[in-house]
Amino acid sequence: MMKNINWSKYSKPIILAVFIIVLSILRPKAFLSLDNFSNVLWSVAVIGIMVSGSIFVYLVGGIDLSIATLCAFSAVVVVSITHLLGDTTAGVIVGVIAALIVGMIAGAVHGVVITTFKIPAFLVTFATQSIFLGLAMIFTNNKIISCTVPAFTAIGAFKILGFPLPVYFMAIIAVISWYVLSKTVYGRYVYAVGGNPEASEISGINVKLVTIVCYMISGLTTAIGGIVLASMTQQASSSTGAGYTNDVITAAVIGGVSLLGGEGTVSGAIFGAVLMGLLNNGLNLMSVPSTHAGLVKGLVIVVAVAFDALQHADQSRKKVKKVKKAAA
Amino acid sequence: MAGNTILEAKGIYKSFSGVPVLQNVNFEVKAGEVHALMGENGAGKSTLIKIITGVYTKDDGQIYWEGKPVEINSYQDCQKLGVACIYQELSVIPPLTVAQNVYLGREPRKGPFIDFAKMNQMTQELIDRYQFPLKPTTVVDNLGIGQRQLIEILKGLSQDSKLLIMDEPTASLSGKEAEMLFRIIQKLRSEGVSIIYISHRLEEVYMLSDRLTILRDGKNAAVLEKKDIIPAKVIETMIGKVVDESAGSRKMLHSDDKAEVRLDVKNLTDKTDRYRNISFQVHRGEILGLGGLIGAGRTEVVRAIYGVDQAVSGEVYLDGKKLNPSPKASILEGIGFVPEDRRNQGFIPLLSTTKNVALTNYDIVKVNGTTISDADELAMSKRAIEAIDIRPSDPNKQVGVMSGGNQQKVVIGKWLMRDLKLLIVDEPTAGIDVGAKDEIYSILEDLAKQGVAIIVVTSDLQELLRVSHRILVMRKGDIVKEFKNVEVTQSMVLSAGQGVEEEAK
Amino acid sequence: MKRMNQTTMRRLISIGMLLILILLFTILAGAGKGKFLNFDNLIEVVRDASIPTIIGVGVTYIIITAGIDLSTGSMMALVGMTMANIYAYTLLPFSVMIIAGLIVGLLCGLFNGIIVAKFNVPEFIATLATMSIFRALTYIIAIKDQNGVIKSQPMNHSQYAWLGGGIGKFYFVIMAMIVVVIIGQIVLKHTRYGTNLYAVGASKKAATLSGINVAKTRMIAYVITGLMVAIGAVFTTARLQSATTAIGMDFEFNPIAAAVVGGVALSGGSGDVIGTLIGALFMATLENGVRKLSINTAFQYVIKGAIIIGVVIFDATYKARMDRKAKEQGAKEGLE
Repeated sequence: MMKNINWSKYSKPIILAVFIIVLSILRPKAFLSLDNFSNVLWSVAVIGIMVSGSIFVYLVGGIDLSIATLCAFSAVVVVSITHLLGDTTAGVIVGVIAALIVGMIAGAVHGVVITTFKIPAFLVTFATQSIFLGLAMIFTNNKIISCTVPAFTAIGAFKILGFPLPVYFMAIIAVISWYVLSKTVYGRYVYAVGGNPEASEISGINVKLVTIVCYMISGLTTAIGGIVLASMTQQASSSTGAGYTNDVITAAVIGGVSLLGGEGTVSGAIFGAVLMGLLNNGLNLMSVPSTHAGLVKGLVIVVAVAFDALQHADQSRKKVKKVKKAAA
Repeated sequence: MAGNTILEAKGIYKSFSGVPVLQNVNFEVKAGEVHALMGENGAGKSTLIKIITGVYTKDDGQIYWEGKPVEINSYQDCQKLGVACIYQELSVIPPLTVAQNVYLGREPRKGPFIDFAKMNQMTQELIDRYQFPLKPTTVVDNLGIGQRQLIEILKGLSQDSKLLIMDEPTASLSGKEAEMLFRIIQKLRSEGVSIIYISHRLEEVYMLSDRLTILRDGKNAAVLEKKDIIPAKVIETMIGKVVDESAGSRKMLHSDDKAEVRLDVKNLTDKTDRYRNISFQVHRGEILGLGGLIGAGRTEVVRAIYGVDQAVSGEVYLDGKKLNPSPKASILEGIGFVPEDRRNQGFIPLLSTTKNVALTNYDIVKVNGTTISDADELAMSKRAIEAIDIRPSDPNKQVGVMSGGNQQKVVIGKWLMRDLKLLIVDEPTAGIDVGAKDEIYSILEDLAKQGVAIIVVTSDLQELLRVSHRILVMRKGDIVKEFKNVEVTQSMVLSAGQGVEEEAK
Repeated sequence: MKRMNQTTMRRLISIGMLLILILLFTILAGAGKGKFLNFDNLIEVVRDASIPTIIGVGVTYIIITAGIDLSTGSMMALVGMTMANIYAYTLLPFSVMIIAGLIVGLLCGLFNGIIVAKFNVPEFIATLATMSIFRALTYIIAIKDQNGVIKSQPMNHSQYAWLGGGIGKFYFVIMAMIVVVIIGQIVLKHTRYGTNLYAVGASKKAATLSGINVAKTRMIAYVITGLMVAIGAVFTTARLQSATTAIGMDFEFNPIAAAVVGGVALSGGSGDVIGTLIGALFMATLENGVRKLSINTAFQYVIKGAIIIGVVIFDATYKARMDRKAKEQGAKEGLE
């Protein structure tokens, strides 16, 4: 018999510590500099922003495979509108608002289609992924469009107390997301719907509406991620945000968010984003190309979800035993 | 008429975690007979069948097949002997043809390929022999439930089964479909196939069976020959001699017509005809028991009242006010609902007691702006834990890992936090230990004393008699009987549910 | 009157969609100019549809079991890069190179199958993960120049080029597709394994009760897909005369789209290989027409996505309606 220590409670800080220690030993100079720390945060920020919103989707047992291309599309929207309005600060503001609206509408479409026709989320977002890609290509005419309007580049580059703005965005969005999920009635409903939709319905919860709003939130943070990315790179194209779908999902999974629904916290997801950032950074410092990181990320997802699935099966077995015992 | 004994189970014992479910049960089926198996819920029918089909292993006893002792350890073992079970949940594959379904996994082959000609021909032969209204090449997608059931029977026959087990075969059939099934059962019997027929419906058993074994509390109660299958006698045997009069019968009290009407249901009718023209009232402080067989439409009616499902016509009034059929509206009007399927509909397993209790009550939990007051939420959960003695009493415990009784207490507990006018409970104590049962009964009684109207749907006759002030019995979608201000016995309720008018004593 | 079979109905709809699309492009292109509707161009369409169809046969099997495979594009790249390595660094004959490619495909499929069937990881998550795993492995084994920069590996050998072409317009890839479709359809409709696929997709529980090994059935479907992907990779590299890390980027969309348009329901238990062929032809026609009419290729992505959502919504509502009708009719007719 295993001792009854709740490892999952301590696993996160332990993993983080081990990671940092290993990197500090392997690359002490490069890793332990303040510059690098800020770098890590910078790369963590985009994932953190997006995972803070897409966690809502995972919590209701859904998934969003369109993150990367919606990210591209919203980046393209903000940059094109800025150009359209003569590269002015006002243009940037209008562009940002437009991109955010686009993100929310995209999410609403996901939610409505998924809940109305009871089509698996992965399929709907798999299809819209293609639509967003196409739209991004049409808007940019298959080119990279750059944008160096100061008001725009400031979004990604402006520093306060040594940290770039995106880090603050991440912090703010994560806190809002944490607040909504753990302090509001809506947050309670999200967990309930993900944990047992039928019981939620009977408890008077509008399951459909709760789910649609989750997808809208995910769309919104994806759009914010796209804006930030575009600003950080001072350009937008149909490949802005490529690879982020997996990074966001991986961050969530590392952070203990169950892709089967009903389980996970924002702090966990942010932890996942930080670990992803460290991982990317570490592999980078070790001169492992970023393209290879996919191997690690993929394996992480497989192992984490397989573990999740096994545990679920195990729990229901134990449950049956317990009930039988209780009947005794 | 019937021949030699084909299957015999002798001295079967089975217990789950020390609780005896079957004790020294004997059961015998002869070749070419329809042998019915009856008993109340929990009498041990399905356990016995699962032992015969190899799903459970028996603790003690011996099964004989055609006189020889056999060990059945899996469903495959029992198929090899020539026993086929027609599952309640149909296991046909819709996109395949009738013939493909009949021979699924055993298709005749030519080289690596399925020999469709031969398979269809073999199926046609079976169909002709038993005169089933089917064609081998029809895709199952296009067939109704009754015909799908026939495919299952064919599947059994195709394996040269000598014994078919039918568990509540008419549960989801229309009247016409059921008649067809009865004709086929007669035909099978004349072909020498034995059938174990499990049913709650006495009229079917009376009409079809050659013999009847009745189980009661996991023991043999009787084996009756056809001539002895008299409804009143069967019911009496199923319920058992009433030793304790107070448990066996009860005077229906409180049917005080003068009391204020809380719930008024008018002409409620279902879209798919599972119930029709249901009208009744529940008074202030009254516990109305809704009895009848499983599938009589009781659950469907209460779900429509609460608004989870919608009736096609009819109205529901609470304290004179017409209700919108939606759970949310019902909750706000003061209705509580404890669903039948606790695990899938009752609670959120991953969430704590606190969050489960609060789930329907965020209109009364203190919320500052948008922020839930954790303290108030916790206080509510503690009140619920105290009021109904939920264990473990830790409000942060995940409900999913609790015992069934405590899970049910959480489900009920959340309604106690509200000002209820009506509480609907569907099978409130199914799978719950005796102690928790008593606690739940006393909660219902307390609520009634406070003026709450209560509807209890239950298949447990003892429970029905114990908690109800008045009883309505449903049968095949209609209310067929009302018991008020009279002495009621279990057999009276059962007879009404079966559609058997008990002979005047 | 006899109601039309659901499957037949759905087949007619997908053929109708294909014909309407062809008609549309013919009109748009201007019938006289014949930019679209001519033999050479139609052969091009079929050639373009070949690889999605070949891989689509495996994907069809998977979808019939109610599964999905999002990793086919990456798998194709990995197979291609494996062969490129053998080409670049060994003197082994082509046959060995191709066999090695096929083996890698089989192993990738087996890997997917084990995760899905043995560890019960939801299919789309499992294959989304292996999608990045296979792609990363491709980068890891990618061939680099002196400066350590990944380069495209040419595989320009006359024999291999021959395989990538054909005899006149009779491209080998089209022949391979025809053979694969025929075998695929026969296996599906005329063997126990094919029947088992439908049974597993319709109800895993019922399949188990009928003595079908559900895990094995699902696993084999993934292995077959791996093999088909490898065949696709051989023809792709033979035609391109090179292997790059970008092979099969976003490709996974195509066989799934083909299957969905062709009537293979993602809920499992229905559809067939012929349907996927029609679906692949539809998608290839769409791409070709868009190209020939000089429409911004970006529209393709929008149209493809919209068509998938449209078809899936149609299937969902259509199936619900037919099921209800079947039930009502079954109850009405009783068992006369």
